[in-house]
Amino acid sequence: MADMTQIAEKKANPVGLFFKAIGNYFKKFGTAVANGDASVKLSLIVCGAGYWRRKQIIRGILVTFLEIGVIAYTALIGVGYISKLPSLGTVQQEVVYNPDTMKNELNDYDNSLLILLFGSISLVMIIVALIAWMSNEITVYNLQKDAEAGKHINTFRDDLHDLLNKKFHITLLFFPILGIIVFNIFPLIVMIAVAFTNYDRKHMPPAFLFHWVGLKNFKSLFSNSLTMTFGYSFGKILAWTLLWAVLATATTYIGGIILSLLINFKYTRFKKMWRTLFVITIAIPQFVTLLMMRNFYADTGIVNTFLQKIGFVGFLKNIGLISTNYIPFLTSPGWAKFSIVMINIWVGVPYLMLITTGVLLNIPADLKESAMIDGANKFQIFQHITMPYMLFITGPYLVTQFTGNINNFNVIYLLTNNFYTTTDQKLAASSGQEVDLLVTWLFRLTSDKYNYKMASVIGICVFVICTVFTLLAFNFLIKGDREETFR
Amino acid sequence: MTKTKSTNRHIKETVAVHTILTILAVIWLIPIAWLVVTAFSAYDGMDTSRFFPKVWSLKQFGRVLFRSDNVVQFPRWFLNTLIIAIFTMLISTMFVLMTAYAMSCMRFKGRKVLMNIGVMLQLFPGFLSMIAIYFILKSVNLTNSHLGMILVYSGSSALGYLIAKGFFDTIPDSLREAAYLEGASEARVFFQIVLPLSKPIIVYTVISSFLAPWTDFIFAKIILNSGLSKDWTVAIGLYNMLERSLLPEYFTRFCAGGILVGIPIGILFIIMQKFYVEGITGGAVKG
Repeated sequence: MADMTQIAEKKANPVGLFFKAIGNYFKKFGTAVANGDASVKLSLIVCGAGYWRRKQIIRGILVTFLEIGVIAYTALIGVGYISKLPSLGTVQQEVVYNPDTMKNELNDYDNSLLILLFGSISLVMIIVALIAWMSNEITVYNLQKDAEAGKHINTFRDDLHDLLNKKFHITLLFFPILGIIVFNIFPLIVMIAVAFTNYDRKHMPPAFLFHWVGLKNFKSLFSNSLTMTFGYSFGKILAWTLLWAVLATATTYIGGIILSLLINFKYTRFKKMWRTLFVITIAIPQFVTLLMMRNFYADTGIVNTFLQKIGFVGFLKNIGLISTNYIPFLTSPGWAKFSIVMINIWVGVPYLMLITTGVLLNIPADLKESAMIDGANKFQIFQHITMPYMLFITGPYLVTQFTGNINNFNVIYLLTNNFYTTTDQKLAASSGQEVDLLVTWLFRLTSDKYNYKMASVIGICVFVICTVFTLLAFNFLIKGDREETFR
Repeated sequence: MTKTKSTNRHIKETVAVHTILTILAVIWLIPIAWLVVTAFSAYDGMDTSRFFPKVWSLKQFGRVLFRSDNVVQFPRWFLNTLIIAIFTMLISTMFVLMTAYAMSCMRFKGRKVLMNIGVMLQLFPGFLSMIAIYFILKSVNLTNSHLGMILVYSGSSALGYLIAKGFFDTIPDSLREAAYLEGASEARVFFQIVLPLSKPIIVYTVISSFLAPWTDFIFAKIILNSGLSKDWTVAIGLYNMLERSLLPEYFTRFCAGGILVGIPIGILFIIMQKFYVEGITGGAVKG
């Protein structure tokens, strides 16, 4: 019970702290504006003013240029896009006759996607600029206080020096974080926004406009009717995704442990050779091995030919497991799911073997020896020493492995795309398949059907599932931060 | 008496373990073996009636390497991928090491917040944002270009800093503190103390970021959508060869091409695997 309340307190604190920090920030800004001298007050309009007053000429110029740049961008480009954000554009593309050139030309149309893209980017930039503007005011005021207290005021050279010293993290992180913002955060914002629009095949820019539709797409994900089968598909595909993630993670983990126990068995000869044999299979790029696998197990593939020859196919047919003259390894729902899990074992076990081998070899020997002296048998040692140690070390990896499997695009897509055809009309109507994971379904929706709105909704669902799972796992299964354990 | 009994048991166990390992190894290697022998077949399509080719030949390798047509332009793909991979490797390695050092060795305001945001961002399925990235790149005319692909692979690569951070975490504080006392700047500590001690993780980061463009095909498929074979990377090129209509004519060439990329990548992977294990087990395991 005590534990629970502690956890609850921990949970409540960050939110409180967050709002407190925001409050403090505004308070600081207020004091700076109220108590600042003329130059500090002028910095509200000309951002460099406060620095010039303290003889930080270059810094002041740089800050002012940045300010001018941001204002110019906002006025010339930003405002135009942002003002169209609420409607996402009103002028549809049309061909009009231009009397001046005497040709048919496209009118000055709105492109909803570009409006969404640059509108949201501009909006984020303006918010960031506002925060920067407030921070600038606080910095300038701090400079004033330092000057009044007679402290050393940094010259430009000092500032540069700081960037390689105390503030080296700013230098280090500037480009990496810029990259993440442009190639990860902006795209995510846009795609999340798409989930609230009707962006699909019938509303494709530049020829057509799309609009905000609120929560309609989320409703259709859970609804089920004659024309709308997303609810049906979502239930089926979600169930298989979760089942797959559990199966794929568990089978490869257990398989990996068994294989590495076999290889590291006391009397096994040529340990290194065995390890290399299995590593070869993962050294070849996955798209090569998986594409080959699907031809290996094709309906008319080599495995089927072989099994027909030895009469195994006939046997399965006699006992009623199949109704065809071949084994539909990757073409009937049940068999395909089974084969995918099996092929995934083939793909995944060598990785786990590598990892568990490393862990096994590092179990402190004295632990095992003292257990042996106490009369524990092999199985007891495995149960009480090897497994707990293994789980402790590989716990975080298992969690990422599970979410990785929820998002395991490659295995499913390479094994089944253009190869597996669903016979379930309701699934097909929403372009899903029995073997699809949420992510492959998402991809199929965009690449085959241009149904971006539903793809975004599914993407958000995947995120929610992964987040909930990760938070639960890290809070309840794996406790503590091991950051400084090895120092 | 008891001694012979236990020796007997050991022999039995040893034989059993070796038998199981042999069976498993065969299961694991048969598909690979099929890929290799098929590449040496004179027949163009997929021969399902036999495991080993009817007529052995090196002709498929020759065709893949020297005779390009509008479907297969292997040398061109290889060059494309190599250029993309080299620049991706340079940028990603820099980003990853810089981020890892800042997060591991420095203490500043907002560090934990940034780390948490990083974890959260990785929970979104990657190609959801890919669609938007495609339109961003298209608006600046960078789709179907090397630069676009390099940006896609290395742009947000800093998110993969955790393994390198785990390594930096194991470098003793005392080493850096001694340097600070002698007046070394943070930048100097990074370049002259931490980096020289981090060869394994640098090798790991270099190789893994170099391999990314060779093994990824989904991002490449979205960005390089011109449909022109000359723009492709090895991965999409090979994937395309197995289109249903092309398979009868190109299957053995696919196998040959697969081996040609598989060998260099495999060698790099085997070099990298030791660090891979160390990274995942959080430095708790020293190869």
